[in-house]
Amino acid sequence: MAGVDIPMVELRGVAKSFARRLFVQNRSFALRDINIAIGRGEVVGILGESGSGKSTVANIITCLTGYDGGTYRFKGRDIAAYTRKERFAFKSDVQIVFQDPYGSLNPRATVRGSVMESLLLHRRDLGRAQRIERANALLEEVGLSADAGERYPHEFSGGQRQRIAIARAIAVEPELLVLDEPLSSLDVSIQAQILELFVRMIRERGLTIVFISHDVNVVRLLCDRVYVMNQGAVVEEGFARDVLSHPQNEYTARLLDAVY
Amino acid sequence: MASLAPTNADDRPLLEIRDVSVALRNGNRTMVAGVSLSVRPREVFGIVGESGSGKTLLTRTLLGLQDDAYVAGGSVRFNGQSLPIDGYGTQARKLLGHSIGFVPQDPFASLNPSMRIGKQITEAIYLAKGWPMGAERTRDAAISLMAEVGIPEPALAFNQFPDQFSGGMRQRMVFAIALAQDPKLLVADEPTTALDAITQRRVIELILDRSRKHDLAVILISHNLELLRQSVGRIAVLYGGQLLNIVASSDIGHRMVHPYTEALFDCIPTREKTLADIRSIPGEPVGAGFGLRGCAFASRCPYVVTACTTADLPRNSAMAPSFSACILGRGAS
Repeated sequence: MAGVDIPMVELRGVAKSFARRLFVQNRSFALRDINIAIGRGEVVGILGESGSGKSTVANIITCLTGYDGGTYRFKGRDIAAYTRKERFAFKSDVQIVFQDPYGSLNPRATVRGSVMESLLLHRRDLGRAQRIERANALLEEVGLSADAGERYPHEFSGGQRQRIAIARAIAVEPELLVLDEPLSSLDVSIQAQILELFVRMIRERGLTIVFISHDVNVVRLLCDRVYVMNQGAVVEEGFARDVLSHPQNEYTARLLDAVY
Repeated sequence: MASLAPTNADDRPLLEIRDVSVALRNGNRTMVAGVSLSVRPREVFGIVGESGSGKTLLTRTLLGLQDDAYVAGGSVRFNGQSLPIDGYGTQARKLLGHSIGFVPQDPFASLNPSMRIGKQITEAIYLAKGWPMGAERTRDAAISLMAEVGIPEPALAFNQFPDQFSGGMRQRMVFAIALAQDPKLLVADEPTTALDAITQRRVIELILDRSRKHDLAVILISHNLELLRQSVGRIAVLYGGQLLNIVASSDIGHRMVHPYTEALFDCIPTREKTLADIRSIPGEPVGAGFGLRGCAFASRCPYVVTACTTADLPRNSAMAPSFSACILGRGAS
């Protein structure tokens, strides 16, 4: 827990709604009064079924989508008041890995090229040779072979593509890594490999992680704390081992009962 | 849970497939090789495999639904009747309409979007039983069938279209259509993969409940070993188009099983496991089409010896109720 420190991520009363139809005032709420605080170094799970709003929370935390109520403070500063320069810095502080890594890699760039691109943007101090060296080290860190860098995304399996996306995300040394269902499109034997990679990364890099998932058992294994979401609201929060063994909320209890 | 113990003598297998291989029409490549298994009446049977293991190809071909593949060898018996290997698909499809019900993977693609739900279900009843009951009674039968699979307000839903329902409700409707013919065997291919956890549990329980009450045999195909382990009696494990193991689900995690089954179970997070219990399998899964020369899992197996890659894969030609294809005898009963 963050203790007395300023939380890294603080969502207070955040809401988001969509117009049901153009020019019609009647709006449907995607998120209602979301309060989430994440301290430095925490691994926090956001658990929910499809349609619960968990991915919208991920997109708000990474500033990929806006919100229309409440405040979002990142390291104590309201992101609504960000200057252009701060907004740029935010993009290297916060990185996201999506469910489908194929959709997030440029098919016409080599894997090393993709990793180097983010270094080019956010680490202007590095020369080309240093960037290549850094990219190779990252690919090795996520468990890809030395020749992987020369190849293109389509030559890799789903699990390897997810490794590439992870290498790309940690290339800029983010403080916060948001993982949006990073295991869901993978085969079970590969899920366990990527899970082991996350555990190693958490241990070695001390990253703060927001883990968005529908999988109760994975959240139980990986996360310190958990927020359970249902229909756009947080219904329960607490330490993962407490919430997922002695749920207080009726929905959480039903969800846990249903899981195999 | 179904019991493993053999019951009375008239419990002859409902479905018997012996040394069946499946090949693609284009190029004649054998994708699934030498699979033998039998399913008894009223038995709930599981087939597990990762993507590319051949589980869907095998079942769809056996049901005559896969246009680009055919049964290249072996024999298939259903309900005491032998199916010809030549012209297999046509024969299998005749059974599909009557004795075998099928619930495909995608509830969003398996209903006609421009036809009212009620019409689609009465059509299935009509195709299975003809029209002896008249329109009114067929309608009543459809509505009671819808109620039975847990569709709320079935009389109202009867006149609605598929897009007005959630994935779980649509899967129930597909299920109602599959049950309209009162089949002896229900084959469900990943019926809950597109559904969320609470709905998934309800749909699986619905299937198991129907099986108990109506003497229905079920083949449940899934990539989720834990789901199968808690739901079915026996599980067939496919990998690389090979049948590696047929195992009582209660043995998994308790007794020695085939190395692949063991590895698969070790890498899934379950309720009871901690991080230290999770062991991943190194490497990538091989695709179907490995053939019968050597074990497809050898390249990832912790117990591998040289013979694993050279010896012919043991087959379950004796149709034993449990079976391990490991040449080291791991998991053999």
